[in-house]
Amino acid sequence: MSPLKITTRDTATGPVLAVLGDLDYANAGELRELLTTLTLQPGQRLVLDLAGMDFCDSSGITALIAAHHHAQAAHADIALAAVPANTLRILRIVGLDQIFPLHPDSETAARGTRPSR
Amino acid sequence: MSFGKLEGMDTDRRNNVTVTGNPQGRTVVLAHGFGCDQNMWRLTVPALAEKYRVVLFDYVGAGRSDLSAFSEERYSSLDGYARDVVEVCEALDLSDAVFVGHSVSAMIGVLAADLAPERIGALVMIAPSPRYIDDEDYRGGFSAPDIDELLTSLESNYLGWSAVMAPVIMGNAERPALGEELKNSFCATDPDMARVFARTTFLSDSRDDLKSVRVPTLVLDCTRDAIAPPEVGAFVHRAIPGSTLITLDATGHCPHLSAPEATNAAITGFLAGLL
Amino acid sequence: MCRTGRQPDPADADNGKTSDAAFAELLEDSAEDLYESAPCGYLSMLMDGTIAKINTTLLDWLGLEREAVVGRMRFTDLLTVGGRLYHETHFEPLLRMQGRIGGIALEMKQADGARMPVLVSSVVKYGGGGEPLMIRTTVFDARDRRAYEEELLRGRKAAEEARKQAEADRARLQEALAVLQQSLLPATLPPVPGVETAAHYCTASPDRLGGDFYDVFPVDGKRFAFFLGDVCGKGPQAAAVTSLTRYTLRAAALHDSDPVAALSTLNKVLHERYAAGGDPRYCTAVFGVLEPDPATGLVAVRLASGGHPPVLVLRAEGTADFLPTPGGLLVGVLPDARFVAATTVLAPGDTLLLYTDGLTEARTGEDRGSLYGDEALRAFAAQHAGRSPRAVVQALTVLLEEFGDGLDDDTALLALGVPAPAPRPDSHPDTDPDPATKSTR
Repeated sequence: MSPLKITTRDTATGPVLAVLGDLDYANAGELRELLTTLTLQPGQRLVLDLAGMDFCDSSGITALIAAHHHAQAAHADIALAAVPANTLRILRIVGLDQIFPLHPDSETAARGTRPSR
Repeated sequence: MSFGKLEGMDTDRRNNVTVTGNPQGRTVVLAHGFGCDQNMWRLTVPALAEKYRVVLFDYVGAGRSDLSAFSEERYSSLDGYARDVVEVCEALDLSDAVFVGHSVSAMIGVLAADLAPERIGALVMIAPSPRYIDDEDYRGGFSAPDIDELLTSLESNYLGWSAVMAPVIMGNAERPALGEELKNSFCATDPDMARVFARTTFLSDSRDDLKSVRVPTLVLDCTRDAIAPPEVGAFVHRAIPGSTLITLDATGHCPHLSAPEATNAAITGFLAGLL
Repeated sequence: MCRTGRQPDPADADNGKTSDAAFAELLEDSAEDLYESAPCGYLSMLMDGTIAKINTTLLDWLGLEREAVVGRMRFTDLLTVGGRLYHETHFEPLLRMQGRIGGIALEMKQADGARMPVLVSSVVKYGGGGEPLMIRTTVFDARDRRAYEEELLRGRKAAEEARKQAEADRARLQEALAVLQQSLLPATLPPVPGVETAAHYCTASPDRLGGDFYDVFPVDGKRFAFFLGDVCGKGPQAAAVTSLTRYTLRAAALHDSDPVAALSTLNKVLHERYAAGGDPRYCTAVFGVLEPDPATGLVAVRLASGGHPPVLVLRAEGTADFLPTPGGLLVGVLPDARFVAATTVLAPGDTLLLYTDGLTEARTGEDRGSLYGDEALRAFAAQHAGRSPRAVVQALTVLLEEFGDGLDDDTALLALGVPAPAPRPDSHPDTDPDPATKSTR
């Protein structure tokens, strides 16, 4: 068990949220609350950098989907960077690999080139 | 002399039965009274152990008995405690044992001897009382309000055996302030179960049961006993045909503790006369 | 001012004795006065308890006259019945044994009938030959202390009652949750001609409503629908989604039993119900239709998956394989979701196994560090392939129990199979927990 820590930095294309620790039932709400305070401009890209994420359960997946909806509502893009293998497996099972552009790292994700699906 | 705790049988565990003394000797069962446990016999056992096989036990709720075996229903009458005694005798397959009971246990012994006459062949009643409350011409030593007060104070957990209150209130059953001596000796009694035992003891009236006694009986009382005055000992002696009364020139309700030599001499003298 | 009494005081050239006397005189105190008026009670008694000496403080507390007490009363006469009993059975024997006893809580009777809580300490005074001569006793007023203790006791009693109430509430809540949980699952599965069904639901925590669900029901004269799924999240909100999901799927199947159509309907319902409110809720689900063919004994299966782990097909000849449904999306995430259909045919001895990911995500190993996983499940299923759906579910139930606290999530199991026409001549050497199955070998 490791606590959740989220750091935010801004890039030319939009904010990058780095998720560190466990994104689970106990604390996925933190990400969802943070999203409500995050202002996105149309055309910006929200990047969730998951390189430091240790664990993600269904509540974590829900928070990722909330982020997707948040970006969509602001007419912005969303991308996931450095998704850990286990989470990637779950994303594939539930079909979310089809709606989240996936990138190896946050720099690539922020650069704005759409990866091939 | 061999000391051994019997294992394996439920009654032995339930009543923390201890068997000691001379395995070839006649069996003497020592039964403690209210608010005490088998440790109160520690000055008595050495006087008996050489010639007699000595059985000690704790009533359920006292000492190191199995508290989970407590049933308010069973132990709300002296018969329930008498059944404990009979079951202890059965577990050891005793026959013709001498039952030594202190205080309320003296009356429990009378009931047990009636339930299982083949098990119990003689009675020693130390500071017995068949009824604690005064009743017309009978003097038990207490008024009804006295006993009400006693039971009420037990309800509120203030009585002496809850002595130093703070640890009790804090849920600490040990009473360190009373010192190792007390902690290890007399009053390892569960307060809730003690309340049931107190009610059973002090509201009982076993005067009619004395008539049933058919075995040799020694009644042992003290000149100065604040619980069972000498009149009570005399009453018990009169009610049991053929009984022997010895009144010790001693102070207190526990002569086996306050005057052990005289008490032991009276008991061993009686035992010797039984053969 | 601090006097040690050892160093000569420069202001006082005389020796210490003169100095002490001078101080006593200054205070107008004497040993006698101290004894009588000390802030505690003093008693001296003979070894039989007869009171030989008592101080004024104690007489005043008790409201007694000296003449009525000295030589006439014994210590136990001053005590309440309970105090007397304790004195006789504990205080006195211990005092005899140890020569002293201290800090015992007793109650004394006052002349007006009131009871005074006291703390009593006694020592035995011995003669030159070691024979006990008398008992000296101090009595401290414990009324304030008793009041404080009563407060504590009241507090403890209140806390005890609150705890009992909380336990009762908790038990009631758990019962309510269990009833609610049951309402989300079918009490029994309906008989399906030519098909044997078995299901199991394993709750990871009695405190939390699980979000797994399954059902089997007829859609028309010859076809039966089934589904199994997992609502994301836990608790009452998840249970509400489960309930909505279950009834939506049942209704949708009656309208159009095509699996993709049923899941699409559910997707719309969930998305419209929850996504608009900013509280997206979704589930994974497998929905399928069984069509037994009485002529051949074969059962055609058509199913679709929305984000759910693929179902396993256990074949009579002893194999087990996943039926792939890749790309099916979580149900309720997007307004228009894609679901993927697959088909298979069950022959006698074949079983279709549906499960939720509580099973594959169970933590295993010494340190609970690895997940059970898809491949382990497939291998386990292969060991039990060819056996009845009930035997397969029972074997998995044993497996779930063995996971112990490694099972974090609820797990639902649903097995649908075509009974084998006759006992198979060969048998699996593995242990068979189902005696019914064993007896057919």
